[in-house]
Amino acid sequence: MKDINDLNLPEDLKYTKDHEWVKLSDGIVTIGINDYAQDQLGEIVFVELPETGDTFEKDDEFGSVESVKAVSEIYMPVAGEITEINEGLEDAPELVNESCYDDGWIIKVKPDDISQFEALLDKGAYIDMLKS
Amino acid sequence: MRLAVFQDLGVLEYKKALELQTKTLQAKIDQTIDEDYIFFVEHPSVFTLGRRGGKENLTVSQKFLAEKNIDVIQTNRGGNITYHCPGQAVMYPIIDLEKNKIGVKDFVYGLEEIMKLTANDHGIDAGRNKKNHGIWAGNSKIGSVGISVKKGISMHGIALNINPDLEPFSWINPCGLADISITSIEKETNKTKSVGKNYEFDMDRIKNAFIKHFSYIFDYIIR
Repeated sequence: MKDINDLNLPEDLKYTKDHEWVKLSDGIVTIGINDYAQDQLGEIVFVELPETGDTFEKDDEFGSVESVKAVSEIYMPVAGEITEINEGLEDAPELVNESCYDDGWIIKVKPDDISQFEALLDKGAYIDMLKS
Repeated sequence: MRLAVFQDLGVLEYKKALELQTKTLQAKIDQTIDEDYIFFVEHPSVFTLGRRGGKENLTVSQKFLAEKNIDVIQTNRGGNITYHCPGQAVMYPIIDLEKNKIGVKDFVYGLEEIMKLTANDHGIDAGRNKKNHGIWAGNSKIGSVGISVKKGISMHGIALNINPDLEPFSWINPCGLADISITSIEKETNKTKSVGKNYEFDMDRIKNAFIKHFSYIFDYIIR
Protein backbone atom coordinates (compact mmCIF):
# COMPACT_ATOMS: atom_id res chain seq x y z
CA MET A 1 0.00 0.00 0.00
CA LYS A 2 1.07 3.60 -0.58
CA ASP A 3 2.65 5.50 2.27
CA ILE A 4 0.25 8.12 3.70
CA ASN A 5 2.62 10.85 2.55
CA ASP A 6 2.42 9.60 -1.04
CA LEU A 7 -1.38 9.73 -1.25
CA ASN A 8 -3.00 12.21 -3.61
CA LEU A 9 -5.69 13.93 -1.50
CA PRO A 10 -6.84 17.24 -3.03
CA GLU A 11 -7.40 20.07 -0.53
CA ASP A 12 -10.77 21.14 -1.96
CA LEU A 13 -12.59 17.84 -1.32
CA LYS A 14 -14.33 16.32 1.69
CA TYR A 15 -13.57 12.73 2.73
CA THR A 16 -15.35 9.92 4.59
CA LYS A 17 -14.11 7.25 6.99
CA ASP A 18 -14.99 4.75 4.25
CA HIS A 19 -12.35 6.39 2.00
CA GLU A 20 -14.66 8.20 -0.38
CA TRP A 21 -14.27 11.75 -1.65
CA VAL A 22 -17.14 14.21 -1.97
CA LYS A 23 -17.29 17.49 -3.86
CA LEU A 24 -20.11 20.06 -3.69
CA SER A 25 -20.95 22.13 -6.74
CA ASP A 26 -24.19 24.04 -7.43
CA GLY A 27 -26.11 22.11 -4.78
CA ILE A 28 -25.10 18.67 -6.20
CA VAL A 29 -22.44 16.43 -4.65
CA THR A 30 -20.14 14.24 -6.74
CA ILE A 31 -18.87 11.08 -5.04
CA GLY A 32 -16.03 8.68 -5.79
CA ILE A 33 -13.46 6.57 -3.96
CA ASN A 34 -10.20 8.24 -3.05
CA ASP A 35 -6.56 7.46 -3.80
CA TYR A 36 -6.15 5.40 -0.60
CA ALA A 37 -9.16 3.22 -1.52
CA GLN A 38 -8.24 2.64 -5.16
CA ASP A 39 -4.65 1.79 -4.18
CA GLN A 40 -5.53 -0.72 -1.47
CA LEU A 41 -8.29 -2.34 -3.56
CA GLY A 42 -6.00 -3.03 -6.52
CA GLU A 43 -7.08 -3.25 -10.14
CA ILE A 44 -10.81 -2.55 -10.35
CA VAL A 45 -12.64 -4.81 -12.83
CA PHE A 46 -16.29 -3.86 -12.22
CA VAL A 47 -18.31 -1.07 -10.63
CA GLU A 48 -21.89 -1.85 -9.60
CA LEU A 49 -23.92 1.37 -9.83
CA PRO A 50 -27.36 2.41 -8.57
CA GLU A 51 -29.95 3.90 -10.92
CA THR A 52 -30.69 7.55 -11.47
CA GLY A 53 -33.66 8.52 -9.29
CA ASP A 54 -32.81 6.00 -6.53
CA THR A 55 -32.85 7.51 -3.05
CA PHE A 56 -30.70 6.47 -0.11
CA GLU A 57 -30.09 7.35 3.51
CA LYS A 58 -26.65 8.40 4.72
CA ASP A 59 -24.36 5.33 5.19
CA ASP A 60 -26.57 3.11 3.00
CA GLU A 61 -24.74 0.82 0.60
CA PHE A 62 -25.33 2.23 -2.90
CA GLY A 63 -23.10 -0.06 -4.97
CA SER A 64 -19.85 -1.98 -4.99
CA VAL A 65 -16.46 -2.10 -6.63
CA GLU A 66 -14.95 -5.43 -7.60
CA SER A 67 -11.19 -5.54 -7.65
CA VAL A 68 -9.79 -8.88 -8.69
CA LYS A 69 -11.65 -11.55 -6.66
CA ALA A 70 -12.90 -9.07 -4.03
CA VAL A 71 -16.25 -7.24 -3.93
CA SER A 72 -16.19 -4.16 -1.67
CA GLU A 73 -19.36 -2.24 -0.84
CA ILE A 74 -19.52 1.55 -1.14
CA TYR A 75 -21.64 3.82 1.03
CA MET A 76 -23.59 7.08 0.81
CA PRO A 77 -21.73 9.96 2.50
CA VAL A 78 -24.98 11.94 2.55
CA ALA A 79 -28.68 11.12 2.19
CA GLY A 80 -30.25 12.06 -1.11
CA GLU A 81 -31.34 11.20 -4.64
CA ILE A 82 -29.03 9.91 -7.38
CA THR A 83 -29.09 12.49 -10.18
CA GLU A 84 -26.40 10.96 -12.40
CA ILE A 85 -24.20 7.86 -12.55
CA ASN A 86 -20.88 7.52 -14.37
CA GLU A 87 -21.92 5.23 -17.20
CA GLY A 88 -18.38 5.31 -18.58
CA LEU A 89 -17.35 2.96 -15.78
CA GLU A 90 -19.39 0.16 -17.34
CA ASP A 91 -16.86 -0.33 -20.11
CA ALA A 92 -13.87 1.22 -18.35
CA PRO A 93 -13.91 0.42 -14.60
CA GLU A 94 -10.14 0.97 -14.58
CA LEU A 95 -10.85 4.73 -14.70
CA VAL A 96 -11.41 4.49 -10.94
CA ASN A 97 -7.75 3.47 -10.57
CA GLU A 98 -6.37 5.77 -13.24
CA SER A 99 -8.32 8.93 -12.46
CA CYS A 100 -10.20 8.52 -9.20
CA TYR A 101 -11.00 12.27 -8.81
CA ASP A 102 -11.92 13.06 -12.43
CA ASP A 103 -12.99 10.49 -15.04
CA GLY A 104 -13.38 7.87 -12.29
CA TRP A 105 -16.16 9.66 -10.36
CA ILE A 106 -19.01 7.27 -9.47
CA ILE A 107 -22.30 9.06 -8.69
CA LYS A 108 -23.86 12.53 -8.36
CA VAL A 109 -26.42 13.13 -5.63
CA LYS A 110 -28.89 15.86 -4.70
CA PRO A 111 -28.43 15.90 -0.92
CA ASP A 112 -31.44 16.04 1.39
CA ASP A 113 -29.51 18.02 3.98
CA ILE A 114 -26.44 20.03 3.05
CA SER A 115 -25.23 20.00 6.65
CA GLN A 116 -24.37 16.30 6.19
CA PHE A 117 -21.85 17.41 3.55
CA GLU A 118 -20.44 20.12 5.79
CA ALA A 119 -19.90 17.56 8.57
CA LEU A 120 -17.62 15.33 6.43
CA LEU A 121 -13.86 15.22 7.05
CA ASP A 122 -11.49 17.74 5.51
CA LYS A 123 -8.10 16.55 4.26
CA GLY A 124 -6.36 17.14 7.59
CA ALA A 125 -8.96 15.29 9.63
CA TYR A 126 -8.99 12.42 7.12
CA ILE A 127 -5.20 12.04 7.30
CA ASP A 128 -5.40 12.08 11.10
CA MET A 129 -7.94 9.25 10.89
CA LEU A 130 -5.63 7.23 8.59
CA LYS A 131 -2.75 7.69 11.02
CA SER A 132 -4.74 6.69 14.10
CA MET B 1 -1.29 -7.48 18.39
CA ARG B 2 -3.66 -9.08 15.88
CA LEU B 3 -5.79 -11.84 17.40
CA ALA B 4 -8.21 -14.27 15.77
CA VAL B 5 -10.40 -17.09 17.02
CA PHE B 6 -10.21 -20.24 14.89
CA GLN B 7 -13.24 -22.54 14.62
CA ASP B 8 -13.36 -25.87 12.83
CA LEU B 9 -16.96 -26.31 11.63
CA GLY B 10 -16.36 -29.82 10.29
CA VAL B 11 -18.65 -30.69 7.40
CA LEU B 12 -21.34 -28.02 7.19
CA GLU B 13 -23.86 -27.04 4.51
CA TYR B 14 -22.84 -23.99 2.51
CA LYS B 15 -25.97 -22.02 3.46
CA LYS B 16 -25.40 -22.60 7.17
CA ALA B 17 -21.75 -21.55 6.94
CA LEU B 18 -22.81 -18.46 4.97
CA GLU B 19 -25.34 -17.58 7.67
CA LEU B 20 -22.65 -17.94 10.35
CA GLN B 21 -20.27 -15.70 8.40
CA THR B 22 -22.97 -13.07 7.85
CA LYS B 23 -23.96 -13.07 11.52
CA THR B 24 -20.36 -12.84 12.68
CA LEU B 25 -19.60 -9.98 10.30
CA GLN B 26 -22.73 -8.09 11.37
CA ALA B 27 -21.83 -8.59 15.06
CA LYS B 28 -18.41 -7.08 14.33
CA ILE B 29 -20.04 -4.10 12.56
CA ASP B 30 -22.38 -3.68 15.54
CA GLN B 31 -19.35 -4.03 17.84
CA THR B 32 -21.00 -6.77 19.89
CA ILE B 33 -17.91 -8.88 19.20
CA ASP B 34 -14.40 -7.56 18.85
CA GLU B 35 -12.36 -10.61 17.83
CA ASP B 36 -11.62 -11.59 14.27
CA TYR B 37 -12.80 -15.11 13.37
CA ILE B 38 -11.47 -17.75 11.02
CA PHE B 39 -13.82 -20.58 10.06
CA PHE B 40 -12.50 -23.85 8.63
CA VAL B 41 -15.04 -26.09 6.90
CA GLU B 42 -15.81 -28.72 4.29
CA HIS B 43 -19.10 -28.38 2.41
CA PRO B 44 -21.37 -31.07 1.00
CA SER B 45 -21.46 -30.71 -2.83
CA VAL B 46 -22.66 -27.27 -3.96
CA PHE B 47 -22.07 -24.80 -6.78
CA THR B 48 -21.83 -21.12 -5.83
CA LEU B 49 -22.02 -18.02 -8.02
CA GLY B 50 -20.14 -14.73 -7.60
CA ARG B 51 -21.92 -11.41 -7.09
CA ARG B 52 -21.85 -10.88 -10.83
CA GLY B 53 -23.16 -14.34 -11.51
CA GLY B 54 -21.67 -17.21 -13.40
CA LYS B 55 -24.75 -19.35 -14.17
CA GLU B 56 -23.82 -19.07 -17.85
CA ASN B 57 -20.71 -21.08 -17.00
CA LEU B 58 -22.71 -24.13 -15.93
CA THR B 59 -22.26 -26.59 -18.77
CA VAL B 60 -24.91 -29.04 -17.55
CA SER B 61 -28.65 -28.47 -17.07
CA GLN B 62 -30.33 -27.47 -13.83
CA LYS B 63 -32.33 -30.70 -14.15
CA PHE B 64 -29.12 -32.73 -14.20
CA LEU B 65 -27.95 -31.00 -11.00
CA ALA B 66 -31.37 -31.45 -9.37
CA GLU B 67 -31.13 -35.19 -10.07
CA LYS B 68 -27.72 -35.20 -8.38
CA ASN B 69 -29.24 -33.18 -5.52
CA ILE B 70 -26.69 -30.36 -5.89
CA ASP B 71 -27.79 -26.76 -5.24
CA VAL B 72 -26.60 -23.65 -7.08
CA ILE B 73 -26.35 -20.72 -4.65
CA GLN B 74 -26.01 -17.00 -5.38
CA THR B 75 -23.42 -15.23 -3.19
CA ASN B 76 -21.99 -11.70 -2.84
CA ARG B 77 -18.31 -12.65 -3.20
CA GLY B 78 -15.93 -11.67 -5.96
CA GLY B 79 -15.18 -14.06 -8.81
CA ASN B 80 -17.40 -16.39 -10.86
CA ILE B 81 -18.85 -19.89 -10.44
CA THR B 82 -17.10 -22.48 -8.29
CA TYR B 83 -17.72 -25.88 -6.75
CA HIS B 84 -17.34 -27.03 -3.14
CA CYS B 85 -17.45 -30.60 -1.86
CA PRO B 86 -15.98 -32.89 0.78
CA GLY B 87 -12.22 -33.26 0.35
CA GLN B 88 -11.83 -29.53 -0.25
CA ALA B 89 -10.40 -27.40 2.58
CA VAL B 90 -12.32 -24.12 2.87
CA MET B 91 -11.36 -21.20 5.09
CA TYR B 92 -13.48 -18.11 5.74
CA PRO B 93 -11.63 -15.31 7.57
CA ILE B 94 -13.92 -12.67 9.07
CA ILE B 95 -11.19 -10.09 9.49
CA ASP B 96 -11.39 -6.36 10.24
CA LEU B 97 -9.08 -5.31 7.42
CA GLU B 98 -9.75 -1.63 8.07
CA LYS B 99 -8.78 -1.76 11.74
CA ASN B 100 -5.74 -3.92 11.04
CA LYS B 101 -4.69 -1.77 8.07
CA ILE B 102 -4.56 -4.71 5.68
CA GLY B 103 -5.31 -3.64 2.08
CA VAL B 104 -7.85 -5.71 0.13
CA LYS B 105 -5.35 -6.44 -2.65
CA ASP B 106 -2.70 -7.53 -0.11
CA PHE B 107 -5.25 -9.67 1.74
CA VAL B 108 -6.26 -11.56 -1.42
CA TYR B 109 -2.56 -12.05 -2.27
CA GLY B 110 -1.86 -13.35 1.25
CA LEU B 111 -4.81 -15.76 1.12
CA GLU B 112 -3.42 -17.16 -2.13
CA GLU B 113 -0.04 -17.45 -0.45
CA ILE B 114 -1.56 -19.67 2.29
CA MET B 115 -2.75 -22.12 -0.38
CA LYS B 116 0.59 -21.96 -2.22
CA LEU B 117 2.60 -22.71 0.92
CA THR B 118 0.22 -25.53 1.92
CA ALA B 119 0.65 -27.13 -1.52
CA ASN B 120 4.42 -26.57 -1.27
CA ASP B 121 4.35 -28.38 2.12
CA HIS B 122 3.19 -31.44 0.14
CA GLY B 123 6.05 -31.13 -2.32
CA ILE B 124 3.89 -29.59 -5.04
CA ASP B 125 5.39 -26.84 -7.18
CA ALA B 126 2.32 -24.60 -6.98
CA GLY B 127 2.17 -20.91 -7.75
CA ARG B 128 0.37 -18.12 -9.58
CA ASN B 129 -0.71 -18.16 -13.22
CA LYS B 130 -1.43 -15.31 -15.61
CA LYS B 131 -4.73 -16.97 -16.60
CA ASN B 132 -6.46 -16.10 -13.35
CA HIS B 133 -6.08 -15.52 -9.65
CA GLY B 134 -5.96 -18.48 -7.30
CA ILE B 135 -3.18 -21.03 -7.06
CA TRP B 136 -2.11 -23.35 -9.84
CA ALA B 137 -0.02 -26.48 -10.28
CA GLY B 138 1.27 -26.00 -13.82
CA ASN B 139 -1.76 -25.27 -15.97
CA SER B 140 -4.27 -26.76 -13.55
CA LYS B 141 -6.01 -24.81 -10.84
CA ILE B 142 -5.67 -26.25 -7.34
CA GLY B 143 -7.03 -23.44 -5.13
CA SER B 144 -9.49 -20.56 -5.50
CA VAL B 145 -10.06 -17.26 -3.74
CA GLY B 146 -13.07 -14.94 -3.58
CA ILE B 147 -14.03 -12.45 -0.87
CA SER B 148 -16.39 -9.60 -0.13
CA VAL B 149 -15.77 -6.60 2.11
CA LYS B 150 -18.48 -4.81 4.09
CA LYS B 151 -17.59 -1.82 6.28
CA GLY B 152 -13.94 -2.84 6.03
CA ILE B 153 -14.57 -6.42 7.24
CA SER B 154 -13.95 -9.46 5.04
CA MET B 155 -16.02 -12.58 4.47
CA HIS B 156 -15.83 -15.60 2.14
CA GLY B 157 -12.27 -16.81 1.50
CA ILE B 158 -10.31 -19.68 0.00
CA ALA B 159 -10.89 -23.26 -1.15
CA LEU B 160 -8.01 -25.67 -1.70
CA ASN B 161 -8.62 -29.06 -3.33
CA ILE B 162 -7.14 -31.78 -1.14
CA ASN B 163 -8.68 -35.09 -2.26
CA PRO B 164 -12.14 -34.33 -3.66
CA ASP B 165 -13.95 -36.06 -6.51
CA LEU B 166 -12.96 -33.68 -9.33
CA GLU B 167 -15.59 -34.77 -11.84
CA PRO B 168 -18.20 -32.09 -11.00
CA PHE B 169 -15.65 -29.38 -11.89
CA SER B 170 -16.07 -30.61 -15.46
CA TRP B 171 -19.72 -29.51 -15.29
CA ILE B 172 -18.69 -25.83 -15.13
CA ASN B 173 -16.18 -23.43 -16.63
CA PRO B 174 -14.52 -22.81 -13.26
CA CYS B 175 -14.15 -19.11 -12.43
CA GLY B 176 -15.74 -18.41 -15.82
CA LEU B 177 -12.78 -19.83 -17.72
CA ALA B 178 -13.26 -22.43 -20.44
CA ASP B 179 -10.50 -24.94 -21.18
CA ILE B 180 -8.86 -25.05 -17.82
CA SER B 181 -8.41 -28.15 -15.74
CA ILE B 182 -8.75 -28.54 -12.01
CA THR B 183 -6.40 -30.55 -9.86
CA SER B 184 -5.95 -31.49 -6.22
CA ILE B 185 -3.15 -32.15 -3.76
CA GLU B 186 -3.94 -35.87 -4.07
CA LYS B 187 -3.76 -35.86 -7.87
CA GLU B 188 -0.49 -33.92 -7.94
CA THR B 189 1.19 -36.03 -5.26
CA ASN B 190 0.14 -39.20 -7.09
CA LYS B 191 2.02 -37.90 -10.13
CA THR B 192 5.24 -37.43 -8.23
CA LYS B 193 4.79 -39.68 -5.21
CA SER B 194 6.47 -36.79 -3.49
CA VAL B 195 4.92 -37.50 -0.11
CA GLY B 196 5.21 -41.27 -0.28
CA LYS B 197 2.84 -43.97 -1.45
CA ASN B 198 1.12 -44.43 1.85
CA TYR B 199 0.27 -40.79 2.47
CA GLU B 200 -3.21 -40.42 3.86
CA PHE B 201 -5.01 -37.17 3.42
CA ASP B 202 -5.72 -35.73 6.77
CA MET B 203 -7.80 -32.54 7.06
CA ASP B 204 -6.29 -31.83 10.47
CA ARG B 205 -2.88 -31.56 8.84
CA ILE B 206 -4.28 -29.11 6.26
CA LYS B 207 -6.05 -27.17 9.00
CA ASN B 208 -2.83 -26.82 10.96
CA ALA B 209 -0.99 -25.69 7.82
CA PHE B 210 -3.67 -23.02 7.17
CA ILE B 211 -3.37 -21.78 10.77
CA LYS B 212 0.43 -21.68 10.65
CA HIS B 213 0.60 -19.89 7.29
CA PHE B 214 -2.21 -17.43 8.10
CA SER B 215 -0.48 -16.55 11.36
CA TYR B 216 2.86 -16.00 9.63
CA ILE B 217 1.59 -14.09 6.59
CA PHE B 218 -0.79 -11.73 8.38
CA ASP B 219 1.06 -11.56 11.72
CA TYR B 220 -1.80 -13.01 13.79
CA ILE B 221 -1.99 -14.91 17.04
CA ILE B 222 -4.66 -17.56 16.45
CA ARG B 223 -6.38 -19.41 19.24
